[in-house]
Amino acid sequence: MEDILNECLERVFSGESIEACLNGYPEQASQLEPLLKTSLVLMRTCSAIQPDAEYKARARYRLQAMFYAKHEKEGKRASIPVWHRKWAMAMTTVSVVLLAGIGTVAAAANALPDESLYPVKLAAEQVRVTLAFSDVDEAKLHLQFAERRAGEMTEMARRGMPDKISMLTEQIANHLDKVYVMEETVKVEEKGPGVQEVRPRALAPPSPAPSEQATTYDVEKDTGGLGVVLSQSWAMNLAVLEGALDKAPEELKPDLEQAIDSLAKDYGKTIFIIESGSSS
Amino acid sequence: MSIEKDVVSRATKGDGKAFAQLYEEHFDKIYRYVYLKVGNGTEAEDLTQDVFVKALEAIGSYRWRNLPFASWIFRIAHNQVIDYFRKQGKVEKVDLDDDDVAPVDESNPAQIAEQKFEIAELKDNIKKLSPSQREVISLRFGAELSTVEIAEALGKSTGTVKALQHNGIVALRKMMLGNG
Repeated sequence: MEDILNECLERVFSGESIEACLNGYPEQASQLEPLLKTSLVLMRTCSAIQPDAEYKARARYRLQAMFYAKHEKEGKRASIPVWHRKWAMAMTTVSVVLLAGIGTVAAAANALPDESLYPVKLAAEQVRVTLAFSDVDEAKLHLQFAERRAGEMTEMARRGMPDKISMLTEQIANHLDKVYVMEETVKVEEKGPGVQEVRPRALAPPSPAPSEQATTYDVEKDTGGLGVVLSQSWAMNLAVLEGALDKAPEELKPDLEQAIDSLAKDYGKTIFIIESGSSS
Repeated sequence: MSIEKDVVSRATKGDGKAFAQLYEEHFDKIYRYVYLKVGNGTEAEDLTQDVFVKALEAIGSYRWRNLPFASWIFRIAHNQVIDYFRKQGKVEKVDLDDDDVAPVDESNPAQIAEQKFEIAELKDNIKKLSPSQREVISLRFGAELSTVEIAEALGKSTGTVKALQHNGIVALRKMMLGNG
């Protein structure tokens, strides 16, 4: 009986009706029914017991402060002066964002590069990067933001704004460069500084040697070759991402794979739109 | 890896968002459990916060193995309540205060009245359970733990927990019918 009651309780907890449970145990139904009804009253009564929402929010704030302090003390962030500098920068940006208004930040969440709130969106992203708990978390954010830029790039192509695409490809490259630096830092921290490998700035890109020049497109000088430049940019970024994927810690690999997939789609779409537009 | 296991793993490695997620997931349940044990909303809030402070201090040493996170944190809560009664020099009792209970719909007086009646009944009846029954009923209905999780939190067999649950519900049923 104790086992049957427990099984029925599990089913009731997961949303099944008492009747459905009783149908499964017709011989015990007369004993089970009153106990299940009592249990329902208990469930309902207990669910009405709630902490004060304001207290809960305050407690959460205190615990988070303790959490940060604990992990800071444990040296999760290796360099205290850098941490302080980052905090100072973050706090300044947070102040600006707060002054600008929380609503503005929310409104900026979907802003595009040709819109006035776009700088607010970039500032909010910078705050998130600055407050990341670890290098891996920071790398994940850069991947996420590179994907965002790629999505924005596609939308700019749709709107016929090639000058914005140029800026966005640079931003994507900057984000991916930072992922490379994070990945390298994690690797050095894991191996120790004595075994740092000397490698080129980018990871095994196709020859010739990589440089930011390859991803930079000057719309003033060349309005006809944007598709080619985008193809080169994608090849460069793919090489960086695949190189990072080989060396990245396990927890970063799903994000890298996701970024490769997402960027491939967005670059593909953008190149298609650009080439369709120029050929039409 | 299950979602909760992943969240716990990230929290043990210092991921603040993961810890916040665990906080949101467990705060209300721990509060309800503690509230049913101490019977006072203000003390239950402070004790619940203390449970998370202890969890924060110890989470680095938490290893999943076969102990679910819920069992681990409720073991902390259980010890915290015991410690509370020991420090207060109190015998464990329940003296629930109706004012500490948040009504479901403040605009519905009939619902509030019904709820208060039920809570008053629970307040009277839960006092009469044995300490072990009260513990299991609080964890099962307040904290919404499974019998397996309760067994692991209390260091009892699941058979014992199921028996205590059954006997507790039977006892409460009798009390509600006025036969207790």
